[in-house]
Amino acid sequence: MSDKKSGTIKISKPERLFNLTCALLYTRNGLTKNEILRSVPGYENEYIEGGDNSSLERKFERDKASLLHNGIQLEVSIPAHEDENNQATVYSIKRESFYWPKNIQFTPRQMALLNLAAEAWVGGSLSTAASRGITKLRAMGAIGEDSDIVGIAPRIQASDPSFRDLNNAISDHQVVNFDYRNPKTGEILTRTLQPWLLQKVAGQWLVMGYDELRAEPRNFMLRRIVSKVTTAKPNRNFSAPNLEQVAEAVAELDALAAKQTARIKVSRDSEAWFKYELDLQGNASSDEVTIHYHDLYVLAEELREYAGEVKVLKPEALIQLVRAGFEKVANDHA
Amino acid sequence: MPDHMKLDDSDRYNLMLALTGLLVQGDEYSLEELSKRFEVSKEEIVKAVKNIGYLDMAHFENPDRYVVDYDALDEGYVRISYNLENVVEDVPRLSSRQASALAAGLVYLSSLPGLAENEEIQELQTILSSGDSRGKTPEVIVQPGSKDADLLTIRQAIKLGRTITCDYLNLKGEMRIGRVIEPIRIDLRGELIYLKGWCPENVDVRSFRVDRMRNATLTEQPISDEALAAELDDEVYHPAETDTLVTIDVDPEAYSLMDDFRPVEEPQTIAPHVKRFKIQVGDVRNLGRIIAKFGGTARVLEPETAKVAVREFALKAIGELQPSAPEDAE
Repeated sequence: MSDKKSGTIKISKPERLFNLTCALLYTRNGLTKNEILRSVPGYENEYIEGGDNSSLERKFERDKASLLHNGIQLEVSIPAHEDENNQATVYSIKRESFYWPKNIQFTPRQMALLNLAAEAWVGGSLSTAASRGITKLRAMGAIGEDSDIVGIAPRIQASDPSFRDLNNAISDHQVVNFDYRNPKTGEILTRTLQPWLLQKVAGQWLVMGYDELRAEPRNFMLRRIVSKVTTAKPNRNFSAPNLEQVAEAVAELDALAAKQTARIKVSRDSEAWFKYELDLQGNASSDEVTIHYHDLYVLAEELREYAGEVKVLKPEALIQLVRAGFEKVANDHA
Repeated sequence: MPDHMKLDDSDRYNLMLALTGLLVQGDEYSLEELSKRFEVSKEEIVKAVKNIGYLDMAHFENPDRYVVDYDALDEGYVRISYNLENVVEDVPRLSSRQASALAAGLVYLSSLPGLAENEEIQELQTILSSGDSRGKTPEVIVQPGSKDADLLTIRQAIKLGRTITCDYLNLKGEMRIGRVIEPIRIDLRGELIYLKGWCPENVDVRSFRVDRMRNATLTEQPISDEALAAELDDEVYHPAETDTLVTIDVDPEAYSLMDDFRPVEEPQTIAPHVKRFKIQVGDVRNLGRIIAKFGGTARVLEPETAKVAVREFALKAIGELQPSAPEDAE
């Protein structure tokens, strides 16, 4: 095809990206932008020698972003003798960072589990990432089949509008701003966060990160974010947290639930009786149960659902919170 | 036959990388096999294979290429040979997001008892993170929800194609003993687990909440032809003609209501971050608990009957919350 020039052959975007990837893998010393535009099919057929190639350059910038989003690490450097000359920037892909580690094989059962894990995101915030990821894994050997893994349709729900933006910011190590409503006071404060991790804990999506306002790691519940998540101005990157930092913050969250308890009394054989599994507790003589919680406001919500079947015994703050919520609802619907 | 996803340009590029990684190992595959393996149509496979064959490195003093066997392709088989060095020679790594999406999906699955052992999940997560191009910390974690023993029985029943009996607490709060269900599929929806099953009593597919189920027991009875032929969809609730259309406003704290109930049309933004939508409700009396639990961040606008239902639920709850008199009082 190289003997056919501009216009005779339409090169599709996937084909262009593939050509670019192979060229960057193949190059030993890296390729400058100009070398790429003049030699890689998909660009070279539109390249105008000595003319204005600015739209082609923008196309290259977009393609770079596509490669990055697909997990390809671009090596970008300026050869030492070229000093500060940006035109001399060379691009390449290191083979070590491109391929899977050798000798990794998935069993049919593992593939079946991975297929199902990808399916869990269908229609959700990470459906594209999951489906592209699983496509690569499907090239690695076994076909996913396991008679034990049938008749299951999982769906992770992650529809908070901020999920996608936070997830992008985590990938790109970008500092973000958002308005956050304090559940206690209703006060809204703009927060500046270095987002590390999204996690779903006890049914709630949280973003964990370094809170620049409080100067410590904090968790924020996605449903209390009451603005768009925007990148901080001016645009700033942060260095990735180390594993210990993240593990420590996750452990603190777990410790919190272990420490915080509420005691409730439940009407026998009511729905709440089954919900809190008092029928399975063995000591059927008691109609009281202790619950561990991460967040008092979320617990109050859960308990309001079982109004009439559940009575909060302690803590006092929870009793007040459940009641205040009902009062607000009664007023709102007057 | 699974539905094939519609692919965009980035998906197609990704498929080309993956296909190349597989085909360079030298084996021949039928189009059927590849279509099944990658869950895309045969046309997409043919297109990707042809594009791989168009790779052109002539400008790099490298006249070699991936050689597609076009005769075989015409007959429905895919085989490539290559004498290129240092281009795509194996399967590429995942992006961090791809790796953590799959890892989080795995943890989510572990809420189904007996599906996968913790060690199995952890092993897979370790492999995934080793294949993450940046090899960094996971971006998304899902902590598994509660486990339920009845699920083991249900899974066994689905595997064997047998009927179960169970006690089931219906929406009216009545416990029905010994209900017969022909299990078809387990639907995990966020925190809730439903069993989609054929109900011989209603002669229809119904969704049962597994947390309202007790004493699930496997029977010897195979599931019926009706159950086998039943069409399943993703909906948990099916609107009926007699449903009431209810308008609701939600703050971000209650946006999850839009997941739980499919709004009949696209929700509107009526104030900064306040959304308004309409849902179909079978019995407005059920709305009380659904709305009141949010403690003010969800509000019913109309009809009046629905507002009354919510108000009465809240007022009744407050009444019942009054400090009770000491037990020894007269």
